[in-house]
Amino acid sequence: MLQGLAVKRENLALYWQPRLFMSQSATIFNDPPRSYPQLIATYGFLPNLFQAQSAIPQAIEAEQQLINTVLVRQGRLSRSQKDAILNAVATVRGCDYCRALFGHSLAALPDRNSGLVDFSLKLAKHGPWVSQSDVLILKNSGFDERAILEAIVTTGVGLMLCTLADGLRPQLDAELRSPASSELLNVPEPIDWPKTPGAHLGLPTDSTADSPAYAVLREQFGYVPNLYRLQSAVPDLLDAEVRLLQSVLFPEEGLNRVQKECVLLAISAANLNTYCTTLHSQVLNILGVPLEESDQIVKDHRDSCISGTDRTLLDETRKLASLPGRSSQRFETERLRAQGFTERQIVEAVVVSGLANFLNTLQAGVGATADFPPRKVFGPKDLYLFSDRSRPISDVAFPEDPDSALVARVRDGNIDVFEELVRRHSRRVFGTLAGLLGNIDDAHDATQEVFLKAFENIGRFQGRSKFSTWLTSIAINTGTDFLRQRKPSESLEETQGDEGFRPKQVQKWADDPERLVAASQMNELVREAVLRLPEKYRIAVLLRDINQLSTEEAASVLELSVPALKARVLRGRLMLRESLAPHFIRQDKTDA
Amino acid sequence: MLSCADFLAEFGDYIDDTASSDLRAHLEEHLRECKTCQVIIDSTRKTIDIVTESGCFTLPAEAVDPIVSAVMSRIRQRTT
Repeated sequence: MLQGLAVKRENLALYWQPRLFMSQSATIFNDPPRSYPQLIATYGFLPNLFQAQSAIPQAIEAEQQLINTVLVRQGRLSRSQKDAILNAVATVRGCDYCRALFGHSLAALPDRNSGLVDFSLKLAKHGPWVSQSDVLILKNSGFDERAILEAIVTTGVGLMLCTLADGLRPQLDAELRSPASSELLNVPEPIDWPKTPGAHLGLPTDSTADSPAYAVLREQFGYVPNLYRLQSAVPDLLDAEVRLLQSVLFPEEGLNRVQKECVLLAISAANLNTYCTTLHSQVLNILGVPLEESDQIVKDHRDSCISGTDRTLLDETRKLASLPGRSSQRFETERLRAQGFTERQIVEAVVVSGLANFLNTLQAGVGATADFPPRKVFGPKDLYLFSDRSRPISDVAFPEDPDSALVARVRDGNIDVFEELVRRHSRRVFGTLAGLLGNIDDAHDATQEVFLKAFENIGRFQGRSKFSTWLTSIAINTGTDFLRQRKPSESLEETQGDEGFRPKQVQKWADDPERLVAASQMNELVREAVLRLPEKYRIAVLLRDINQLSTEEAASVLELSVPALKARVLRGRLMLRESLAPHFIRQDKTDA
Repeated sequence: MLSCADFLAEFGDYIDDTASSDLRAHLEEHLRECKTCQVIIDSTRKTIDIVTESGCFTLPAEAVDPIVSAVMSRIRQRTT
């Protein structure tokens, strides 16, 4: 099993210890010739996407085997179903090269309305939110577990190839047609973060317990990680994945193993993947990187002790993560060259990033539980943690606004595009108004008003905040107007200041308070507690803890200073705590 | 050492993990000694988790389409 080795760490580059797990005895594949007949058979030519990786031919060969196993070989899903998934993934990722590449082999326009594509879109865009119930929906539609696994792996391959294209930026091949303008896909904002991790599929595990693939995994990791066990019913697939690891992750001719594991760790953290961050932290620990150091990379690599060179490596590769809130900044090879990375290492960095997104997607789909107690369990609020520091407070354009392209098209007169903006933000706007007004009908009416105002005023939107922040400002103003009409005498300002609130409930809470109240009662309990808050605290808590805006964004929406906003949020949270405490205090009072 | 009142005025940044290292050290020094503030910070964290994950004001998925249709219909009426 994995055990931490006491290797003191000063610089990642010094810590690659080739003695660890690098025996070649378990290599299961012979060195194949450097040609790619299956890729040429699949696409009719060797796409530039693969030629751009010529510095590491073994990676191209492993990708070829994976593509052949997952996409070409006959399985439960038809080729057209897989192509539909790939196209949807490339569209939702905004990768024009892959839209052209995947569209090239399309026999017919894919059915975008199928449950299968919906599932893959959710997995590609909101992977951490995928749960057992998403899998059940597919099962109820007649897909068996093998078919669902194929959908998951196809989505992972699609995201991996998109990652390669985003990082390597191959020229569009002469054989490919430029894709038509991107259509808008309906990917609903996810609601419930899965509360209980666990396998989503019930395929038999360890059916290939003596296979060469298992031998490689045991030799590399000391055990067979759950992620691979859950796929062992499909030996071809397991072999292809292990070969990808052998070709991309284990060699050390370019980047060293520690650097690669750090890339896997940082991207897994950006993708909010508890399983993969746990696994890669443990591997790094074996390689001599203390767990505390990995914790810091997970939290924010810019504050970790890694060298400036490696920080740049993680800065750039993290831009390739697949999470919805991901940065729209482009992967910059020039920054890596300036730090002395070779062309091979830069290609490797991109390929390892593709591997990270592939593994994260697999895990989110199959639901493997962590092999070790996680040091960090991600939740939905972490989505907003990673980009806080790069968010400007005011007066400068937000480079990372995911809505900017749509907003520009609406401003150019394309009214229909506004529909996608309404779809993207209606839940958040409604949630803000429902929390503010406490009345569902009013919240519906006010939500419509907000979007009408936004449409009418979109010409005035300067891009000095994110579109979503601007929309939230309109929602708060519209909601308070509704309140004024309802209760003209009520003032938003309280006479009491934000300081000086003293908690009265000081008994210890249960370790797992959610278990004390039935899930059906919990929403009502929280709803009532929030609605009892005075408005100014309610709005602050709504923006920070329910809408999950950053402190700076919430302050900007309310036109408050950051300290003033913080004071309101803290006061609101303490008042909520008072209100909820009677339901959640520990029953044994000896330890209060 | 900080008083409980000082602690309660300052621990918001600690909960949000944005406290400076100096402030964090002072707060942790107080926390080591004060069981009441330990309870308050633990239960405040749990409160935030409960509120964040409750989804109590979430619009049901099936209600999105009617809102989108209503908004777009009103916009198209206004622009024609």
